[in-house]
Amino acid sequence: MSGSTIKVIIGPQHPALKEPERFILETEGEYVVDVKVRIGYIHRGIEKAMENRTYLQGLYLSERVCGICSDAHTTCYVQGVEELLGVEPPPRSRFIRVVVAELERIHSHLLWLGIAAHEIGFDTLFMYVWRDREVVMDLLEIVSGNRVHYATNTIGGVRRDLNDEKIHKILKGLKTLEDRVKEYLRMIQKEQTVLKRTVNVGILSKSDAIKYGAVGPTIRASGVKRDVRADDPYAAYDEIPFNVVVEDGCDCLARIMVRGREVLESIHIIREALKKMPGGEIRVRVKPRIPPAEALSRVEAPRGELLYYIRSNGTDKPERCKIRTPTLANIPSLCKMLVGGYIADVPIVLAGIDPCFACMDRVLVIDREKKEAKVWTLDMLRRYGREWYRKR
Amino acid sequence: MSKEEEILEKIKGKFGNNIKDITIKRSRRIFAETDMKYLKEILRYAKDELGFDHISTITGEDLGEELELIYHIAYQNAIELSIKTKIPKENPRIATIVDLYPPAGIYEREVHDLLGVVFEGNPDLSPLLLPDNWPKGVYPLRKDVSLEEIKEIIEKGGEKG
Repeated sequence: MSGSTIKVIIGPQHPALKEPERFILETEGEYVVDVKVRIGYIHRGIEKAMENRTYLQGLYLSERVCGICSDAHTTCYVQGVEELLGVEPPPRSRFIRVVVAELERIHSHLLWLGIAAHEIGFDTLFMYVWRDREVVMDLLEIVSGNRVHYATNTIGGVRRDLNDEKIHKILKGLKTLEDRVKEYLRMIQKEQTVLKRTVNVGILSKSDAIKYGAVGPTIRASGVKRDVRADDPYAAYDEIPFNVVVEDGCDCLARIMVRGREVLESIHIIREALKKMPGGEIRVRVKPRIPPAEALSRVEAPRGELLYYIRSNGTDKPERCKIRTPTLANIPSLCKMLVGGYIADVPIVLAGIDPCFACMDRVLVIDREKKEAKVWTLDMLRRYGREWYRKR
Repeated sequence: MSKEEEILEKIKGKFGNNIKDITIKRSRRIFAETDMKYLKEILRYAKDELGFDHISTITGEDLGEELELIYHIAYQNAIELSIKTKIPKENPRIATIVDLYPPAGIYEREVHDLLGVVFEGNPDLSPLLLPDNWPKGVYPLRKDVSLEEIKEIIEKGGEKG
């Protein structure tokens, strides 16, 4: 590395969400030439905590791994525990799981779309999308009583049923969301404000996406048709026909399009699930102690493949509960996307994998020769990016 | 013959007694066990010949006398093959698989942090999850490390305080 290389340290301060990260970017001029990652600033030791708590207590811990995809975590967890027990959740509960999971995906993708717009300085879009996201947040509250931790899943089924009144409200809300998202998708493909900052930015080729183990919308935006819901079906996904959304752009625009189109697909899935949902019980009672067994559970969280490996030992507490979140899986691909790109593109590329982005809240710039260090905030980096593009 | 059975037969045919307890636990879930000296060979075969092109993660577990590593790899995002191998707790060393699966690097760093396994050949085993001043030799996911001990370390603010 020549003497002119400058280290730009992004992160790690992260106020709220699960994955705070620090990226140490090695830069030459305006280019990023190398990236190093450090995470764990609020590693809470949930896996260890689970070993010391009962399966039911573990359910509440898993719900709190992530504040955005809390339902994906509990779904993955309860499926694993149900497999250990050899218990089948009732059919109706499997459909309710699909409804809540897809409502969560819609809220997560809309949240992300707003953030992506903000990263490129398109705050009008940010405001509109977040206004519309309130529609799905209200639906989640109607269904579960909560906006964030839905506490829908339990070992052996779900805790709350859907009635005709709730279903009517969901269908009404979905219509509003469908119209709005279709409009955004139409606009995004024509709007120069978006295109100039996202086309050919943060390229991840199809072969690299597989090689570096990308998951979720990130790999689907690189033209690889992979979705746990379709490939390794769980809940009621094998009874609902749906399309796996794929885009060939391999860039940030493709990542926007994939998530936008997935919202429409989620709306379709919810409608089908509500139509096909059978009657009957929503949960079965289970025993607290689980004989020795092991289970590997996977779900398609909004950000991609989420995995739990659980091993029981005959007591009411698990011997081991391993969690692998999709953001961790996407970090090697993210490093690949950043290398060779402009510093000004870092915010949107980083946001492109939909990590818990607030980790970039502080930036430290060190000039190796002068041994000076400057602390930047994410806002400063964002402003730098916008200014840089304006002058270009 | 299902795809799972086909994969199982191929691995059995290729590695014979060097692969133990290979079973299909349910649809799309295959579990197997092997000695650490055959692990990489099996992974390479699964990746290059059978199309297991994705590594989901590496699970580490403390079994008391030994540590167990489970390599979860996926075929077409559907069939998960979990290969287990045991390594001595006294000298927990095993060859890296970064050369086979580049994303494994970050999963190895995680297991190194939490269970103290040294992955020989991994270019970067710097702390990923634990703080920089976490005391050397304390691996929180090991069974002999109690919650009280972890709490004490955190309250002291790490090694240097």
